[in-house]
Amino acid sequence: MSRPRRDPRAERDNRTVESRGRTRLDFGRRETLPVSGRMRRDPWREWAASLAGETDGERKRYDRSQRQMNRAEAVRFARARETLDATDISPGQPALRVIDEPAFLVFAVVETAGGRLSRFDRQVLGAARLLADAGDGGGAVVAVAPESVEGLGEAGADRLLHLPRAATQRGRTAALKAAVDRLAPRHVLLAEEGDGADCARRLSVALGEPLFANVEHLTARQAVRAIRNRGAEIGLAPPRLMTLGEDRAKPYEAVPCEAREIEGGPATAPADPAILSVEIVPGDPAKLSLSETDFVVSAGNGVSDFAAFRDLAAAMKGTPGASRVVCDAGLMPRTAQVGASGTVLAADCYLALGISGAPQHLQGIAGCEHVIAVNTDLHAAMIERAGLAIVQDAQLVMPALLKLLQERET
Amino acid sequence: MKTVVLLSDARNPVSGRAQLSRLEAQAIGLAAELDESPQGLHVGPGEEGVSAGLGHGLCGLDVIEAPEGEDPLPALAAFLATSLKSDEPPALVLCGRRGEGGLDTGLVPYLLAEALGLPILADAVALRPGEASDTLVVDQAMAKGARRRVTIRLPAIVTVHPLAPPPLPFAFGRMRRGEIRRHAADVSEVPVDVDAGERPHRARPKLMRTAGTASGGANLHVGPDPEEAARLILAYLEDNGIRRYGQG
Repeated sequence: MSRPRRDPRAERDNRTVESRGRTRLDFGRRETLPVSGRMRRDPWREWAASLAGETDGERKRYDRSQRQMNRAEAVRFARARETLDATDISPGQPALRVIDEPAFLVFAVVETAGGRLSRFDRQVLGAARLLADAGDGGGAVVAVAPESVEGLGEAGADRLLHLPRAATQRGRTAALKAAVDRLAPRHVLLAEEGDGADCARRLSVALGEPLFANVEHLTARQAVRAIRNRGAEIGLAPPRLMTLGEDRAKPYEAVPCEAREIEGGPATAPADPAILSVEIVPGDPAKLSLSETDFVVSAGNGVSDFAAFRDLAAAMKGTPGASRVVCDAGLMPRTAQVGASGTVLAADCYLALGISGAPQHLQGIAGCEHVIAVNTDLHAAMIERAGLAIVQDAQLVMPALLKLLQERET
Repeated sequence: MKTVVLLSDARNPVSGRAQLSRLEAQAIGLAAELDESPQGLHVGPGEEGVSAGLGHGLCGLDVIEAPEGEDPLPALAAFLATSLKSDEPPALVLCGRRGEGGLDTGLVPYLLAEALGLPILADAVALRPGEASDTLVVDQAMAKGARRRVTIRLPAIVTVHPLAPPPLPFAFGRMRRGEIRRHAADVSEVPVDVDAGERPHRARPKLMRTAGTASGGANLHVGPDPEEAARLILAYLEDNGIRRYGQG
């Protein structure tokens, strides 16, 4: 027998700890990892993380944001029970993941609109990371982006390929095709949205390669997409050219990759002779519908000056919204109502002025990534949900915001 | 300008019956603003379903009769190539951006553009004639309500986005008055390669959108000055790339 013989008495002694004047057995302590390799959950630490104030720590605050405790937070609450070593998430983990000699390449074409990685861009990079680590692994993710943006390495890109920002989609596709011909990636992933979807189809025609569009389910073994108007589906081993549906793949969250820049993109993209002029017309947030906009400024019962609120929404370049109470009172139109019986938002950011956060209202903003709450009640549900919570009267904050915005403008 | 709207073999997701796709009905609405008598073009076993396009504003419908499951692309390309060479060539070919009932890849307009050598523009929400003759101004839908206004030289293929204006109301009499011209197709005997792994669709849940890592846990400020609160809010918006203020 190669396995060492267990000594139950020694194990028992090892687990005996002194606490409050008497000995007790600490079953939370483990010498080795469990056989499954997964770390134990620490309910004590999770409970400590849900406490409201850092100073008093008396009042339990239920976190309805469904946010997993991340590493930084886990460290912050490490003092909850110092003797327990269950949340050492990955000891000895390297700070940077480097793949020097990639066995193959996976292209992830990201839009980087506004010089930032969007949520969808991160999902495309996450899906590419999944394919690069498939099987024996050793693949490298090449982020194909028009510019270098922050956070590419954290999102899972090993390499960065610059593709010049072309004026036309035809030029962009020609540049991308040249890069694909030169570097011969195993997979090319694009986003099934706007220009990415258009570029994927042009690339498919240019390469003569079939396109597996709008992937709904992606693993290392198979990619699944709906056909026949979502009546049937087909699943294949991940093909070469794919577009990923929104919210279908998880973004990468492990050790940052290096995002080293590589050569290989053409310097300039050819122009399209049929396109005579291109002009971008920015959307007017005041005229957009609530379901289409990306930033909503919303008023609740804590707001009484609605003229100032409308001025504020216009100055902040946001779409005005309101809670049910305000719409019922006739202070804002019914089309502005946010929530289960109004509009369910797809916006990125939500500024709630004087809204306490009824469950029906929180359903309406479940999709918002960033929530800012201004409310007088510390224990309001909206304050718990918010990424930035300010306990202050919204009627006082609104003129201050307007004044600050006017100062910025001049 | 003479406009042709491509009509696909769309199927109702529940009953499986042939129907007119909403996107193509919207395309007919856009075409009716440019052309007094927009024409439809369909390749398939019959005009069931697509004949509703006549009621939504089409004046005539060309149906190329091909057996079910046949690849429509060669017939479409051949028909459009002949009409492009005719005395009155179509200036604009409109189509929906995805099919509804087939493989739904959205590749047909692109393959057609390649076959005919025409430029293609995707995701149009509004069309109007350009200042010069033989040009068209296309508004393309982009994220966050922005529009890209592109001037394109005709003839061209343009696909239509769901945010285009809603279709014209259906009129039964108009549908009865519309002219349907049937053409025989050269049967190519090359059916579309339907994948063997086809199985009933299973709805899979999407990822939940939860608060990002950028909005940490303890960003709570109790009773700050209103000025301080305003500064915090603007700093948060600018750090997370939502808006930039004071830069025009």
